[in-house]
Amino acid sequence: MAQIDFGGRTKIRSGNVPGKSRHFAAALRQWWPYYLLLMPGLVFFIIFHYVPIYGARMAFEQVRIIPPNIWVGLKQFQTLFASPVFYQVLTNTLIISGMKILFVFPVPIIVALLLNEIRSGPLRQWIQSAIYLPHFLSWVVIAGVFIALLSPTDGAVNQITGAFGFRPVSFMTDTGSIRWVLVISEIWRSAGWDSLLYLAAIFAIDTSLYDAAEMDGAGRWQKIRDITIPGIVPTIATLFILNMGLFLSADLNQVINMQNDVNRSTIDIIDTYVYRIGLKTGEYSLATAAGLFKAVVGMAMIMVAHFVSKRLTGKGVW
Amino acid sequence: MADIQIRRTAFERIEYAIIISTLLLLVIATVQPLLNLLAISLSESSRVAGMSGLTIIPSGLSLDVWALLLQHPLVQRGIFNSMLVTLASTTIGLLATALMAWGMSRPGLPGRRLIFILVLVTIVFEPGIIPDYFLMKQLGLLNTYWSVIFYKLVNAWYLIILIRFFEEIPGELLEAAELDGANPFQVFWTIVLPLARPALATIALFYFVFHWNEFFHAMIYLNDQTKWPLQVVLRQFVVEGDKLAIVGANNAANNTAAALINLRALKAGMILITIVPILALYPLILKFFTKGTMTGALKG
Repeated sequence: MAQIDFGGRTKIRSGNVPGKSRHFAAALRQWWPYYLLLMPGLVFFIIFHYVPIYGARMAFEQVRIIPPNIWVGLKQFQTLFASPVFYQVLTNTLIISGMKILFVFPVPIIVALLLNEIRSGPLRQWIQSAIYLPHFLSWVVIAGVFIALLSPTDGAVNQITGAFGFRPVSFMTDTGSIRWVLVISEIWRSAGWDSLLYLAAIFAIDTSLYDAAEMDGAGRWQKIRDITIPGIVPTIATLFILNMGLFLSADLNQVINMQNDVNRSTIDIIDTYVYRIGLKTGEYSLATAAGLFKAVVGMAMIMVAHFVSKRLTGKGVW
Repeated sequence: MADIQIRRTAFERIEYAIIISTLLLLVIATVQPLLNLLAISLSESSRVAGMSGLTIIPSGLSLDVWALLLQHPLVQRGIFNSMLVTLASTTIGLLATALMAWGMSRPGLPGRRLIFILVLVTIVFEPGIIPDYFLMKQLGLLNTYWSVIFYKLVNAWYLIILIRFFEEIPGELLEAAELDGANPFQVFWTIVLPLARPALATIALFYFVFHWNEFFHAMIYLNDQTKWPLQVVLRQFVVEGDKLAIVGANNAANNTAAALINLRALKAGMILITIVPILALYPLILKFFTKGTMTGALKG
C-alpha cells in the first residue's frame, strides 16, 4: 500500500484534449502508438481488477455445484447481518483499528520530532537506517520475530518483566493481550518508516522561521510547538484521514500471522472471517457478501476521507 | 548539519541526552530481536535450550542450522520459487507499468481521464479475496506460478508515481527528437527510459520487496508444496508451528539430522534466510526509497 501526495493532478485535469473534437479514427491514427504501449497494463487492470468486480455478483447468488448459480438477491446479506459471529468480527475490526489510530498513529510523529532535534547528520542517518528496516520485512517474518520475542519461556519480554518479579505471560495465546501485540508489532514495523513522511514535511519548513524564533529567544519546546507542529499539521491531517479510510481493513496480513486457535475470538477481523468461511469452509456466497460489505463501506469511507482531506488540506488521497 | 549550536544550559544538555537515548532505545528495540535470532541460529545446538532472548552473542559457534536448512528440499525449492516469482513479476510488472505510465502521461491522449479513473477505482474498490480466487480458478491458473506472478503485477500507486515522473520530462526534449524523425517507440526507448532510470530503479525495488514479501495469495493459490515461496514455507513452520514442514522431510538422513537440532534454532534460521535478500538490497533501498520519499512525498 502506498500513499502519495498527488500534487501533479491538476495537470491531468487541465490537459486539454484536442483529440476529443476530432474524428475518432483520426485520433486513433495519431495516437495508436501510445494506446499500444499502455495496452498491456490496461488489459491487466481489466482482467485482474474489473472481472473480479463482476465476479462479486456471487454475493447475490446461491452457488451450485452444477452451474448456473441461482439469484437470491439480498439473502446472503440477511444471513450475514443475522449472524452473531459477523458482529463479533465487525466489533473486533473496529476495536483493533481504533486502537491503532489511538496508539500507533502518533508514534511516527513523535519519532520525526525527535529525529529532527538531532544535530549530527551522520548520527541521525545511522538511527534512520536502523529503524526503517522492519518496514521491509513481511508479516510472516515479523510474526516469527514476535513469537520468539514474546515466548513465555525464553522470550526477551518475559525475561525483562521477570526481572521485576512478574510472572511470565504467554502473550500470543492470551485473548486479553493479543490486540496489544497487534498494536506493538505495528509500531515496531512502521513507526520508523512512517516518520520519514513527517520528517520530509519538517525539512520543508522555512528555516528562517526557526532563526527568527531563535532571535526571540524561543527554546526547543517553543519552536516545536509554534513552528514544527503547525508546519506538519497538513501532513498529519492527510495521513490521519487516509488511515480513517482504511478503518475496516485492520491489516489482514498482520492479523492472519498473529492469529491462532486460542486467540482468535478477539482478533478475528472481517478479512480473516472472509478467508475462513470462504476458502476453508466453502461458504463462497456468504464470504463474498461479507467481502463486498467491507469493500462498499470501505470505498465510501475512502471517498469521504478523500473529499474531507481535499477540503481541509488541499491534498486528497490520490 | 555541521552547525553545532552553543548548548546554553545544563537543562538543555539533559534534554538532548533524553532525546538521543529515546531514539537509541528505539534502535535497540528494532535491531536486538533480529540479532538475537541470528545468535540463536549460529549457536551450538546443545546450548540453545538455555539461551536468553536478550543475548546477541552466539553460545558456541556452529553453522549446522544454516547448513541443514539450506540443504532442505522445501527450503531450496522455496528459495528458487521466491526468486522465480519475484524476478518474473518485478520484470514484467515494471515493463508494463512503465509503458502504461508513458502512454498515460501524454497530455493530449484522448480517453486519458477515463483510463485514469479506471485505475483509481481499483484503488478504492477491492471486491475481496473470494472473487479474486474464482477468477484464478476460471483462468485455470490456480496452483501455477502465474497466479502469484499476476498478483498486483501493475500496482496502481506505482503507476501514478511514474505518470507524475514522466509528466515532468521537458516537452522540448521530446519535440526535438520527433523533429529528428524518431517515432514514439524510439522516443520512449532512447530518451524517456534513460531519463527515468532512477525512478524505474525505485519502482523496481518497490516491486521486488512487495513480491518477495507476498505470502497470502501464494498461500491460497498454491496447493502444491513444491511451488511454495519461502514466505509460505516459513509461515507453515514458524507461525503454524507445523514441525513436519521442516523436520519431517521425505529424506531420512535429513530427518535424523534435523531431530538433533534445536527447533528454536531452526525457526530462527528460517526467519533469517527469508530476509537475506531484503538485507542484501537494504543499502539500495535506503538510497532510493529515502530519496524518493523525501523528494516526492511518496510512501511504500
